[in-house]
Amino acid sequence: MRVPEIEKTNPVADRPKLSIIAPFYNEEDSIRPLHAAIVAAITPLQVPFEMVFVDDGSKDETLARATEIARSDPRVRVVRFRRNYGQTSAMAAGIEHANGEILVTMDGDLQNDPADIENFLAKMDEGFDIVVGWRHRRQDELLTRQIPSRIANWLIGKVTGVPIKDNGCSLKAFRASLIKQIPLYSEMHRFIPAIASIAGPRIAEIKVRHHARQFGQSKYGLSRIYKVLLDLMVIKTIASFTTRPLLCFALLSMVPALIGVIALTSALWAGLAGPDDMPMPIAGSGVIFLTSALILFFSGALGELVFKFGDIREREFARLTERVIRANEAEDPRIGA
Amino acid sequence: MKSPVGKKQISVIVPVGGRFSDVAALYADYKAGVAALDLPYEFIYVLDGTYKKTAAALDGLRASGEPIIAVSLTRRFGEATALMVGFEQASGEIIVTLPAYSQIEGGDVGKLVAALEDSDMAIGHRTPRAGNWVERLRRTAFHGLLAWVTPVRFHDLGCGARAFKRRVLEEIHLYGEQHRFLAVLADRQGFRVCEIAVRQSPEDRFEGVYGPRDYTRNFLDIITVFFLVRFTKRPLRFFGMIGALTFLLGAALVVWLVIERLFFGQALADRPALLLSSLLVVLGLQLFALGLLGELVIFTHAREIKDYQVERVIQFADRPVRFQSGSPDDNRSAAG
Repeated sequence: MRVPEIEKTNPVADRPKLSIIAPFYNEEDSIRPLHAAIVAAITPLQVPFEMVFVDDGSKDETLARATEIARSDPRVRVVRFRRNYGQTSAMAAGIEHANGEILVTMDGDLQNDPADIENFLAKMDEGFDIVVGWRHRRQDELLTRQIPSRIANWLIGKVTGVPIKDNGCSLKAFRASLIKQIPLYSEMHRFIPAIASIAGPRIAEIKVRHHARQFGQSKYGLSRIYKVLLDLMVIKTIASFTTRPLLCFALLSMVPALIGVIALTSALWAGLAGPDDMPMPIAGSGVIFLTSALILFFSGALGELVFKFGDIREREFARLTERVIRANEAEDPRIGA
Repeated sequence: MKSPVGKKQISVIVPVGGRFSDVAALYADYKAGVAALDLPYEFIYVLDGTYKKTAAALDGLRASGEPIIAVSLTRRFGEATALMVGFEQASGEIIVTLPAYSQIEGGDVGKLVAALEDSDMAIGHRTPRAGNWVERLRRTAFHGLLAWVTPVRFHDLGCGARAFKRRVLEEIHLYGEQHRFLAVLADRQGFRVCEIAVRQSPEDRFEGVYGPRDYTRNFLDIITVFFLVRFTKRPLRFFGMIGALTFLLGAALVVWLVIERLFFGQALADRPALLLSSLLVVLGLQLFALGLLGELVIFTHAREIKDYQVERVIQFADRPVRFQSGSPDDNRSAAG
């Protein structure tokens, strides 16, 4: 496996190859079985690994049990939140506090099977940057969870251009150098592959086992469709126009500009017959639309300014996944997603 | 509780600006309350503007050996900035802010500090509070509206007496008029905030009715909190909603006009309503674009914005562990 440039220049002493990240929110019954299952699944692989358990402000015994586990297993790191912040934040914190080269995220409620991690590692070794799980035999209610999620996944795939069958599956593997650079914020966990696509990663999708929930309640239900739609729009805009806000807004301004020109021309055409025949409401509407087009265009200029002083650099993103092939070197076997 | 209040120092910050009472008398009152805690303490007076008499009085107190630091600002910056200035000078683990005029009984300061045993911040709640029914109605309405904007309910955000642990102000940067929302912001940041009943000082009793200026201020306060709490993370959710509503209203009007044109022969050209509908459509589009621009700002700074606060990291291992999420991340900084 070729290691990206950044990691070579930044050696971290005794860095494990694998970090397994799991968020917990009131999962006192699940945390021990999950830890046991992870250890049982990873130990035979002979890969140095660590576990990052994020306690998302649980009010039950989760933290106490996690602390006990950490006491008996030094590979466990527990990150305790001040209060409940939600799954995206828990994942983001886990990613931040993980030291491994490959980060695997999974649910804390035993619905994912740690035995699948072996397949994820194999795929990563093939050269993929992100491997996404697909719960092909989902153990959730069909009507309230499966069907809405299929529609959402289809929509996400269409809009973002990253066709993933199951965005909601928490079991995912990332190259640390890549995912640590991707901004992750409020409720974006559904779209990690889509956001990450701004760096042009090689994404693979593999089938995973999915178990029915054994303990506790389901906490992260379906969010309102409105939020998902707006998030999608944001990601679409960001992913396709990251470094070109002016272009994005210029394209947007084309619509009102066109309407404005048509309305104004038709009004002027009618006005040729005589000044009294000019339809003022139509002429006025044309002017309004043209003005709007102009303002939108200049909003794009403002966007360029924002980008210039932000901390996102396209070159950095390109660096995350680029592979330099020098003379006398064979190219990696590369598999498209 | 991880850190009980042991022999820690207390830093009392008194921002002086606008309304203030006799310095020496008030200082004696506060000092008696703070000294009763039997902890080392210091007083930091921040003169927000030119206050010659107050400065002279403070000099006098300092000359007689009182633990006072006085910071004077050249012009009026506002109370929130004054608090931040005072905080820079503070060396205590526990920070207490007290108003420069007699608002609460000095003896109650100890109650606020004692409340920090099991919370991160305590804010005073003047009870029983003087005031006629108009005043009470105004206060109830204000705090009720605020509770609608942010989930926690406070009863007396106008109380200048607060006690909090040092890390609260280390994580929250106040500016403008935000000192009144310190409790709200601290709660949003994940700190435990409690309200403590304190006695109102006789001098603070006000039986009149506030004027339109105070109502305007209350209204602006609510809007400020709304934006700080609801809008800063996901601008498009806010702008998108208003934009979509405006757009749909305009679009519906256009559809209606077109139907009238096609089926009832009403010529579009003599309909001023066409202007209104175009305006609404365009406004919706513009609001939506503003939201997108806001999202762009958030996205390009997302790596500095942290949605979560880590209380602690637990690991029983030889290798050093980072305890605060705010500490520089070696992996990231080298890569970025």
